[in-house]
Amino acid sequence: MSTEPKPLPIIEVLNLKKRYGLIQALKGISFSVGKGEIIGFLGPNGAGKSTTLKILSGLIPADSGEAKVCGVDLAEEEGEVRNHIGFLPENNPLPEELRVIEYLKFRAMLKGLRGSRKRDRIRIALDICDLERKVSERKIGNLSKGYKQRVGIADALLTEPRLVILDEPTIGLDPRQSAVTRKMMERLRGDVTFLLSSHILSEVEACCDRMIILSHGQIVAEGTLNQLQKEFINRTIFEVVALTNRMSLQKSVREIDETCELLQDEPVDVSGKKRFIFSTEKGEFVAEAILRYLVKIPDLRVFEFQIERPDLETIFLRATKKNWEENDHLGKKRSGFKKINQLI
Amino acid sequence: MTQGYWVILRTEIFSLFISPATYVSTFYFLALLGVGFRFFIESFTGTNWILPPLSSLSLGLLFGAPALIPFLTMRTIAEERRLGTLETLMTAPVNAVSIIAGKWSASYLFYLMICCGAYAYPLLVCIIFPEQAKSLGFNQLEHWIGGFTFLMSFGASFCAIGIFSSSITRNQMVAGMLSFSLITLYLAVMAFSYGEPSQTDQFTSYEDLFAMLGGSLYRGLDKIQFFALGVLHIPTILHQLIVVFFFLSLATLQIEKIRH
Repeated sequence: MSTEPKPLPIIEVLNLKKRYGLIQALKGISFSVGKGEIIGFLGPNGAGKSTTLKILSGLIPADSGEAKVCGVDLAEEEGEVRNHIGFLPENNPLPEELRVIEYLKFRAMLKGLRGSRKRDRIRIALDICDLERKVSERKIGNLSKGYKQRVGIADALLTEPRLVILDEPTIGLDPRQSAVTRKMMERLRGDVTFLLSSHILSEVEACCDRMIILSHGQIVAEGTLNQLQKEFINRTIFEVVALTNRMSLQKSVREIDETCELLQDEPVDVSGKKRFIFSTEKGEFVAEAILRYLVKIPDLRVFEFQIERPDLETIFLRATKKNWEENDHLGKKRSGFKKINQLI
Repeated sequence: MTQGYWVILRTEIFSLFISPATYVSTFYFLALLGVGFRFFIESFTGTNWILPPLSSLSLGLLFGAPALIPFLTMRTIAEERRLGTLETLMTAPVNAVSIIAGKWSASYLFYLMICCGAYAYPLLVCIIFPEQAKSLGFNQLEHWIGGFTFLMSFGASFCAIGIFSSSITRNQMVAGMLSFSLITLYLAVMAFSYGEPSQTDQFTSYEDLFAMLGGSLYRGLDKIQFFALGVLHIPTILHQLIVVFFFLSLATLQIEKIRH
């Protein structure tokens, strides 16, 4: 039996810390990212997302901890990592007086591309980002925000990077332009690892394999959407559309699960159909068992049954809430301590 | 990382060539210098100027530098900082030293091109009026080399001061005014320092100490006497190289500080 060696992770971070003056931006975060994964990096403002991305792209050094990107140890060869990655900074500042093609040529040369390889890579990057020839001849200052973001992404893809770090790539874009970014990531899925920071949770939910949620410089949640749903939402919500009354349905449901609560009931139409929303602590299997039981009851007609899975927004709020409360509590403690000191 | 230096140098020269401000300032500078040079050589016999007449061109360029250099350097980093493109630049495999060195080299090369443009005036005199040129000493090659070396060494340090000024602000007008002030101050220190430098290592008064510490800064502009006659005064050249190194190091540290 041959055992294939496990591929090295593209990103390995261990106990990474960073402080800006009095503010501890990162309080020792650890995570790893495998080849070809698309990772959503989430967190409220000031959580430390951009700091982490800047450290990983070799722009700023960490105070302590270990970080390896594409096998390069950032503590030893901070600048070397920039040869292996593409980075789109937040707000994506670009020189407005240059034409798109001039800018990409400049960036390609800065990244060490020459001759036919330079031409080919520019052509491929323009193609991946849907920047047609007409647009590539225009001045960057005259482009819309969406096109500017695409120019930034094209720049990040120039050197066939193994890792692309995108800091808020779709901020301020309309849904059509955001879709272009998602399409680009889908096209490169598996070949390129993406680390994507965003506040647009629906977008992260749609395109990321895994999420890392940061709050107050700490990782508060990490995993696939399913894993996060299991970890943070301990109640299963399901809805039943049936032709029955509230009392009898609740009685039938309680015969299977006594803890099941009716959260809401509302009429669906004039025929008497009603939508009932229940909540149980016992998971999806019990919800399915309830359905099986309900359909067997002769006087009860079930038209619809649906288990509601919590979206990323709910998970995000749950994951960050605990951390916020802890930090808030610590803040209150500290301010209380200060007040006592002042009194003394 | 040296690849970054050449790419930045090329791009910066290109941006200087497409900047209208550079053309306007260069045109006025060369035009005024040309008019001044013409009147000077016309009235040269009536003046008590003891140096070769070609040295007037070097001095004209030197005293015009506080007005010219800011136009070449004020945009370089201040504008990048204002637009935020400095951060984007740092995402490429290029370090702060390459960025600063590339930008300095570009403005320095442009300054040397302007100097070459200024030296076209005596060259034209040599071609059109060879007899008069000979009587003015324009046929002495060492005067040309000495004068141009003088400009090269001082221009290098002026450009470094300009790059440093541009690195500490986001506003290019502030950068321009700051580099004008610093270059003028630097010229004033060299022009108005007095006394003779100490000839020995031993000093008996504070003045001796300052004279020793000042090195070639002490009555720095008087060193044109050497260059004008074709003597390359090595301490002056080394002094200007130290100034270049000092201000470019400060600018690099400033970029590193912004990055962190």
